[in-house]
Amino acid sequence: MQSPLRLERRLTQPKWLNWGVPLLSLLGALILGAVVLMATGKNPISVYMRILERGFASTDAFSRTLISATPYAFTGLAASVAFRMGLINIGGEGQLYLGTIGAAFAGIAFADQPTPIIITAMIICGMLFGGFWAAIVGVLKAKFSTNEIITSLMLNYIAAILLDYLIFNSTSYWRDPKSFGFPTGKRLVEAAYWYDMSFGPIKVPFGFLVAMIAAGIVWFLYNRTRFGYEVSVIASSPSAARYAGIRTRWKIITVMSLSGALAGLGGASDVGDFRHVLDAKGVQIAGYGYTGIVVAALARLNPISAIFVAVFLGGLSNAGYALQGPDFPSGLVGTLQGLILFTAVAGEILTRYRIKRQTHVAEGVPS
Amino acid sequence: MKKMWKLAAIAATASLLVAACGGSDSSSDTTTAPDGDSAVNGDAFTYTNFTPFEGGTVVNCAPADGSAIKAAWVYVGPINDGGWTQTHNVGREFVQETLGDKVITTYKENVPEGPQVEAVIDDLVKDGNTIIFGTSFGFQDAFLAAAEKYPEVCFEFATGYTQKNNVSQFYGASEDTKYLSGIAAGAEAPAGATVGVVAPFAIPEVIRGINGFTLGVQKTNPTATVKVVWTNTWFDPAIERKAAESLISSGVKAIASFQDSPATGEAAKVKGIGWVGYDSDQSVAFNDIWLTASTYDWGPYEVAKIQAAIDGKWISGDYYGNLSDKFVSIANYGKKVTEATKALIASERERLTATPSAEFTGPITAQDGTIKVAEGKLPTYGDLMGMNYQVKGITTDLPQS
Repeated sequence: MQSPLRLERRLTQPKWLNWGVPLLSLLGALILGAVVLMATGKNPISVYMRILERGFASTDAFSRTLISATPYAFTGLAASVAFRMGLINIGGEGQLYLGTIGAAFAGIAFADQPTPIIITAMIICGMLFGGFWAAIVGVLKAKFSTNEIITSLMLNYIAAILLDYLIFNSTSYWRDPKSFGFPTGKRLVEAAYWYDMSFGPIKVPFGFLVAMIAAGIVWFLYNRTRFGYEVSVIASSPSAARYAGIRTRWKIITVMSLSGALAGLGGASDVGDFRHVLDAKGVQIAGYGYTGIVVAALARLNPISAIFVAVFLGGLSNAGYALQGPDFPSGLVGTLQGLILFTAVAGEILTRYRIKRQTHVAEGVPS
Repeated sequence: MKKMWKLAAIAATASLLVAACGGSDSSSDTTTAPDGDSAVNGDAFTYTNFTPFEGGTVVNCAPADGSAIKAAWVYVGPINDGGWTQTHNVGREFVQETLGDKVITTYKENVPEGPQVEAVIDDLVKDGNTIIFGTSFGFQDAFLAAAEKYPEVCFEFATGYTQKNNVSQFYGASEDTKYLSGIAAGAEAPAGATVGVVAPFAIPEVIRGINGFTLGVQKTNPTATVKVVWTNTWFDPAIERKAAESLISSGVKAIASFQDSPATGEAAKVKGIGWVGYDSDQSVAFNDIWLTASTYDWGPYEVAKIQAAIDGKWISGDYYGNLSDKFVSIANYGKKVTEATKALIASERERLTATPSAEFTGPITAQDGTIKVAEGKLPTYGDLMGMNYQVKGITTDLPQS
């Protein structure tokens, strides 16, 4: 049996699709969500108002949303950078762990320096550590054509074990020798705390500003430089790129390292902005790296959009906790969040394809 | 799991009944608050096994207009984890049942440790919650920060160690009940066999539980040895299960887990090895292999503390419950536990009820042969809280250094 509908690739993408489709997807998600909510006896309007109020609408809710959004912004950028060249880097999670290790190291080692120096050292070390972790994947891919999905994923587990080792199973440089009872990392001195910036009543984590700057740089690199052009050539046809004299192997290593460095920067912000300690367990529970892949997909691998998507997801997850309670099980919260993400990704298809009705399909013609 | 549905059904019906009677004082049939213990003397709250915070003052965290107090619980895991978080949620339901319309309870589950905790607390305070319970060790920093931000909110923290004027700590002597469960494990394993333990973190709270458990094993099986695998996680069914499987394949004849999920039981079920659980009674779901478990009853203390807040008598402090006030207890026995073992556990239970931590009566020898508790002596509260050595009979080393 043949489906009466089929997807046809759009030859041209009208401009209005870029904002029209996301809006329609959101509307679709809200309508679907309303059906679910009404079926469970909830008033959809009041639930949506609460999501808006607790996620975005008030200044302190928005400040909290930016806190949740900051790590997503970094891991979203990291995934976008790699995916743009067709490198499926699933290792943002582990690269972010390495970033926390590097940044915590710098924060402890430079404790007696003035704040700007400590922060710079934390940023550099976080990026170096994260970049190094991803470079392993890049080198394996470039030299031995190893599948990067598998190696980057496996390195996540190794990074997790390394984190556990540094805090729980050794007296490492990172571990606080005085921690009573529960092993913890050395707490950073206050001079190493990243700045709390305020724009009017809205508090913006310093890391979020760094993420915005990083997004701008990535956008410039990919859209306005030879490097970015070559990356897009490799993405569409690696063999054509090689034929054109582009050094694809070096590009693989460079782009992977860049992706890892961005995730590592997220780790640095995690230590500098929020935890002020190498929190081996907390950072693993959070799962920022995997969320970054969702961010990148929703942002259509566009670095600027990634920032907005990160804020959207940050607000959604904060609002999710606000909704939860005895009369609102977390499964229902997950269903709502899932519906919104699902329709957003589904809507994505409509910007690239259009639905055509099958009309003149002759019998017997193989299709 | 069936047990859980039964409990949930009982709780649901009970709360409906309470609501129908307009919150009349109907007490639950399964659990009762310790009689008379919550009586209030003078201005501040007093309670068995509760030591008020030195220099602490009464914090007024009930609504001034006499409306119902809003109480919230923040959980690290899902409320159906079959262990830690689930029993905490049973405690919350007990509070709601017992205090009826004097309290409005809510909870947030699956809250990851880190910056999210503070955001969740901000939200809870904004919603008008004035007494907030935290149930995961990793929340402590966020709770302390929030306590400073909201001095008019009462915070109750399970299993931490830092008290503030508005941050109280509560926990209890599960080493005593782990000792009782160890007796069952020792009886289950053949003489001189190895018993496995799947344990989360090598911290005093956990180490003294494993020591208690080991002493229990040795009570019935003096030549048995104990092997520990550390998972470095409170709740991760996949890792817990892997740890259990590694112990089982190394030939342990009985196994215990002090984790938040029953994953060890699933691994033990495959090989039919006797299992000592933790936190929750799994005697129905794991009928064939179930021995018993050390369990907690969080509700009565929480009821007493919320009532104190309503009465304007809430004060911070340190609660360390034990067998005597039924804070810790042991679950139903499985069919592997013989009558003789049950009788022995019953008599030991009596001894520990009269004298908490009596299983640590000296001489207690550490792994390296040093005497840690002298002949005939009991460890002090400080000794217990700082216990960082394993007793003789445990063959694996502590992970750090």
